[in-house]
Amino acid sequence: MNLIDIYVSEVGRRLPAKTRSDIEAEIHSALEDMLEERSQKAGRPEDDEMIYEILKEYGDPEKVAASYLPERYLIGPSLFPIFLTLVKVILAILAIIALVGLGVNLGQSATNIQSGLQIVGKAFGNLVTSALTSIASVVFILGIIEWTLRASGEHLDVKGLPEKKEWDPHSLNKIAPPNRIKLGDTIAEIVFTFFAIFLFNFYPQVFSLGYSANGSWYIGTGNWTSVPILSEAFFHYVPYLTVVWILTVILDILLLRQGYWNTLTRIYSIVLRVINITIAAAMLAGPSLIALSSNSLPANMISPGTLQLLVNLLTKIYPIGIWLSILGNSVEIIRIFYRMVANKIPAFEVQGKH
Amino acid sequence: MTNESLENVILELRRGIIVLAVLSQLSQEQYGYSLINSLRESGLEIDQGTLYPLLRRLESQGLLQSSWRIEADRPRRYYVISSEGQTLLPQLKQEWNSIVATMTKMLNKDRREK
Repeated sequence: MNLIDIYVSEVGRRLPAKTRSDIEAEIHSALEDMLEERSQKAGRPEDDEMIYEILKEYGDPEKVAASYLPERYLIGPSLFPIFLTLVKVILAILAIIALVGLGVNLGQSATNIQSGLQIVGKAFGNLVTSALTSIASVVFILGIIEWTLRASGEHLDVKGLPEKKEWDPHSLNKIAPPNRIKLGDTIAEIVFTFFAIFLFNFYPQVFSLGYSANGSWYIGTGNWTSVPILSEAFFHYVPYLTVVWILTVILDILLLRQGYWNTLTRIYSIVLRVINITIAAAMLAGPSLIALSSNSLPANMISPGTLQLLVNLLTKIYPIGIWLSILGNSVEIIRIFYRMVANKIPAFEVQGKH
Repeated sequence: MTNESLENVILELRRGIIVLAVLSQLSQEQYGYSLINSLRESGLEIDQGTLYPLLRRLESQGLLQSSWRIEADRPRRYYVISSEGQTLLPQLKQEWNSIVATMTKMLNKDRREK
């Protein structure tokens, strides 16, 4: 194998198999032509020195191979903004979950500075692990999307994404203040919704009252007896609530992507709120959501009178909370509906134009 | 402007005209190395690393056609403009002429104002 062959195969091994042999043959032929010309000009037969010269001129095999390939990305420029948004949102969610978890753990188990530091260290380690895992999953998913888009697109089309509709400056009106989303609110909603999905589905035991034999109280469970605060009736609603919460997160992500409300997202939001009101109404009509009763705790832990007071308070307060949520959702529906109708009237659409 | 950025601008300028130069030279079929030489003789230096990938791209866009031929015991790939390329070439030439006219006018005006 002479130097030219080695050089050509060095270029070839960096090229896709489909075009490799063809490009190799062409480079080989080009190098032979160069060499022949050199030899004729110099008036002597081809030698190693000439070969080194022409190879140097042809350039680094890596660069030569690159010149045949389109720019390749794991996550291309069109998906990169989505990647950044997702990473920011996920990191914020993980940080908040880690902080709350840390607070609960410290409150429950930290007996001295050493155990406190251990808990902090462990929480930090967990945060790093979960952050790396989630970012890796995002990269993986977006990488697949990028790859699919590229595979389905024209191989010469570097952009890879389907062509967008022609941009219309009138669309700027849609982004005017009443339609523009509130970034902070949207991200906060995603964070808290995730938190709710997480707690109610995976850690329902958090919503219980615990006590140990030595007479200390806890919230949550551990090596002690615990009594659930929320009734089984409540947990029957959790699957429905979870579906609504997931739909809410999807809406929020859509909004983050788009940056403003439009008719479709407004209708989506109204539907979600109607479902919320329906679930809330069912909760009000159904059996009590509170499991705690005046005889669920032993009398030596708490006097039956105090416990009765607590139970009465909880039983009275939660319907008020549900009524407030129904009221809040109804007001929002009216507000969203008003915006939707207002946007159809030209005078509103060109607000601030005059 | 540093030498490097000057070189970059010059490269950008040349990049745009290479397609037109190549298409204009391929009404008669040529292999890569002879095309480089004929472009050089006309005063346009283009390196192999740019030319061969460009030829492939133009072929995949349907503007060129190619065929391998054995000559003096060696295979060579010959390129020639396709009928699609032939339809496109006059339009490109026209566009080029109007660019030259515009730029000449613009640059001469600049000179007079100085």
